[in-house]
Amino acid sequence: MEELAALALDEAAGLADYADVRAVTEETESVSVQDQRLDGVERATTRGIGIRVLAGGSWGFAATARLERAAVLEAAHRAHAVALASAQVQRRPVRLTPVPVARGATYSTPLRVDPFTVPLDEKLALLFAATAAAGAVDGLSFARGSTDAWRTTKRFLSSEGADVAQTVVQVAGGVECVAIADGQLQTRSFPNSFRGYCGTGGWEDVLALDLAGRAPGYAEECVALLTAPDLPAQTGTLVLDGNQLALQVHESVGHATELDRVLGYEAAYAGTSFLEPGDRGRLRYGSPLVNLTLDSTTPKALGTYGWDDEGVPAGRHVLVADGVLQGFLTSRETAAELDDGTVSNGTMRADSWAAIPLIRMTNIHLEPGEGSLEELLEDTGDGVFLSTNRSWSIDDKRVNFAFGCEVAYEIRAGKLGRRYRNPTYQGRTTAFWGSCDAVAGPQAWQVYGTPNCGKGQPGQVARVAHGAAPARFRDVVMGHR
Amino acid sequence: MTTSPTSDAVLGPRGLARLADAALALAGSDEVEVVVSRSAQAVTRFAHSQIHQNVWTEQVEVRVRVVLPGGRSGVAAVTTDDPARVAAAAAAARAIAAVAPEDPDFPGLAPAAPVGTVPVDEATVGASPADRAGAVAALVAQVPSGYEAAGAYETGAAELGVFTTAGQSATALLSRAALTTVVTGATSSGYAEAGGRAVADVDPAAVGRRAAHKARLGADPVEVDPGTWAVVLEPAATATLVQFLSYLGFGGRAWLEGRAFTSGRLGEAALDPALTIVDDATAPGTVGYPFDAEGTPAQRVELVRDGVLRGVVHDRATGARAGTGSTGHGLPAPNTFGPVAANPLVAPGDGGSVQDLVDGCERGLLVTRFHYTNVVQPLETVLTGMTRDGTFLVEDGRVVGAVRNLRFTQSVLAALARVEAVSAETGYASELFFGGARCPALRLPAFAFTSTTTFG
Repeated sequence: MEELAALALDEAAGLADYADVRAVTEETESVSVQDQRLDGVERATTRGIGIRVLAGGSWGFAATARLERAAVLEAAHRAHAVALASAQVQRRPVRLTPVPVARGATYSTPLRVDPFTVPLDEKLALLFAATAAAGAVDGLSFARGSTDAWRTTKRFLSSEGADVAQTVVQVAGGVECVAIADGQLQTRSFPNSFRGYCGTGGWEDVLALDLAGRAPGYAEECVALLTAPDLPAQTGTLVLDGNQLALQVHESVGHATELDRVLGYEAAYAGTSFLEPGDRGRLRYGSPLVNLTLDSTTPKALGTYGWDDEGVPAGRHVLVADGVLQGFLTSRETAAELDDGTVSNGTMRADSWAAIPLIRMTNIHLEPGEGSLEELLEDTGDGVFLSTNRSWSIDDKRVNFAFGCEVAYEIRAGKLGRRYRNPTYQGRTTAFWGSCDAVAGPQAWQVYGTPNCGKGQPGQVARVAHGAAPARFRDVVMGHR
Repeated sequence: MTTSPTSDAVLGPRGLARLADAALALAGSDEVEVVVSRSAQAVTRFAHSQIHQNVWTEQVEVRVRVVLPGGRSGVAAVTTDDPARVAAAAAAARAIAAVAPEDPDFPGLAPAAPVGTVPVDEATVGASPADRAGAVAALVAQVPSGYEAAGAYETGAAELGVFTTAGQSATALLSRAALTTVVTGATSSGYAEAGGRAVADVDPAAVGRRAAHKARLGADPVEVDPGTWAVVLEPAATATLVQFLSYLGFGGRAWLEGRAFTSGRLGEAALDPALTIVDDATAPGTVGYPFDAEGTPAQRVELVRDGVLRGVVHDRATGARAGTGSTGHGLPAPNTFGPVAANPLVAPGDGGSVQDLVDGCERGLLVTRFHYTNVVQPLETVLTGMTRDGTFLVEDGRVVGAVRNLRFTQSVLAALARVEAVSAETGYASELFFGGARCPALRLPAFAFTSTTTFG
């Protein structure tokens, strides 16, 4: 396939002003069980070549899985024809910021045990043990268990001379407990909702979860939620667990700071952003305790890689410092539109060979503050603690949001007390982050993978991550139903 | 329109079968299901009234399910048009099945059964990048000064073939065209879309005019208080509610497992008698396949009749458990979600046009569409989401101005329990998380909005 990629680049570069080619093979494995029944096992392999060209100042893209000379050459010419058609409806030509040319660059996810080498019966035994342990809890309706593995092998070539070879391996594993009775459906997930733990790495990271050991506690809490009271409607002090803050960061910071949204390029689909290019260095995003970074190098994080799909190296960049907006997630094209020396910070990723790269989140972190969760609760006195995302919604400029969680606890005299079911909260982005008056420290900081981030047309799904420690927010509207 | 594939670009029934044979040949005494899907998809995206992304992709995916005695099954999928790699996928699926636990409830693979046909449009199958660019130019030409258009125009062909050792051999070719746009001004935005099985179903200039009209009408929105409002929901807004209703309650697995609002409630008058909802993949105005991913012919299923919950859809597994058989709504194996009513249709009423519904509204909100809707309480069908691209205040039967977007938090069942009017005109609308639904506009006496945002 690499020879075909080189052929495609030669052909496309001869037609266009700029061309890049990705030859990608992605292997996936998904294992799902429900109680002691196999729900599904799938192994899939997809491979193909995607060709992106810039001609006449506009983009064209074509991709094929037919790995033969004629098909690849045809795809190169299709990409060129598509670009020329794009140029028929053009206001200003595309410009790209310069990037150091990565020649002969390589990256591989560090791991100990390749998840694709672990026998299926071992994975099934792990999951059946976990669901059996959960299922032993009286009142549980059923328990689901799952593991996933992804391996993406990619070669990127560009007409500027870039040549990058990468292999990224990602794993996931988790248990979801479900209890249904008297018109209530309650869920508790370990270690997180939406396929559990998700990260780059090896099978050792799934084994370290101790799914069977932890599942019963979550099953018991799930059953207990059936008879817990609903979280009462109130406006008050909210402490969010790190796993929910991850989604809060995702929706109200990550997507909002994608420069293509800021510039209006996603207006017709999932929407744009309340931010303007001139807001950098001026707009108060949150309180001085709020520090947010983009870091595509975080070890084991789901959105970690070596280079993006424009050949820009992974790195760490500040988005919000001391509560003030400092930067965006950028690409070569969008950075050039700012026309102020901004360059790409390496966030362009496609979800397959058949898709164009888009600005995607990689890993967006809320940086830790100080102290443990226990110290944070003690300092809080009275309030509400919410954990584990169940529902999410935000408007098309990323201002008004609403989230639901799996469980809430009252905070009374600095300790977790009564349990509540069906907790929700809502707010507006900058007011909410502006009300943040405490963030727990590194000892409470974790990275949470989000494997289902959707964007673009045709739709693409990215695997991204967010680091967060529990944090406190004041005057939050909770309990809307 | 023609009813048979004619484009050189498609594999056709023979080409689909040729790939499937590579897996079926390895069957021996095993049961084997092969799903071959080929797509050639082109999407032209535009923003700021210019094309900014433009893609063409083709791929063939072959998905092989092997079932060994005792119902032990495994699935392997590969994107290829190489029979040798298909054979390798079959071997991989068999290796998975060999270590899978038994499933005594496995219902067997789909037997031979005739499947219907759907119309195919050659012009859509063969639409060129220049055709799409021309359509975008025609749309953009309708956008007034001070406004910009964004959107996507998709054309393409998709083929599906399902072949089983139990005797089924079903193939189909679909053509599809879909154009969506949002026209944005300084203080407002307006939305419109059109789609169908043929490019002739899409009038780009008309789509542009509708969205531009909405955007102009929505200028300078004011904030209104959240609370319970009467609403007129345009077809796109109705479609969101109906798609979520389908997701939450009309699938056979969720129904059987007691996690659907329909569980134990079929026969109950849960909605207003003015509402009838069916799922029909081949009805005029839809874009579905005439059979599902297991090869079962897609049946028209009555979900709600005159407000009474009537039925749910099934695949082979849930149909066997329910004792009713599959209705042809299965997803590709391995399917951990269960069957899906993906082509819901709400029957039109006698309420006339959207304007007629507005005429009958004393005071309320006209909602163009919803955005980023999600589930808060599944059994109570409580959803939350935002309005977008045109929300208007109606007084004494007239639109008197635009309002800023609001967040709703509302039980769909409760909202649809009282319907004042159902329009006679319907629209086919896509939803962010789902496919499309054909729906009328509705006027409801009560709909709960829980907060507001800063823009219209």
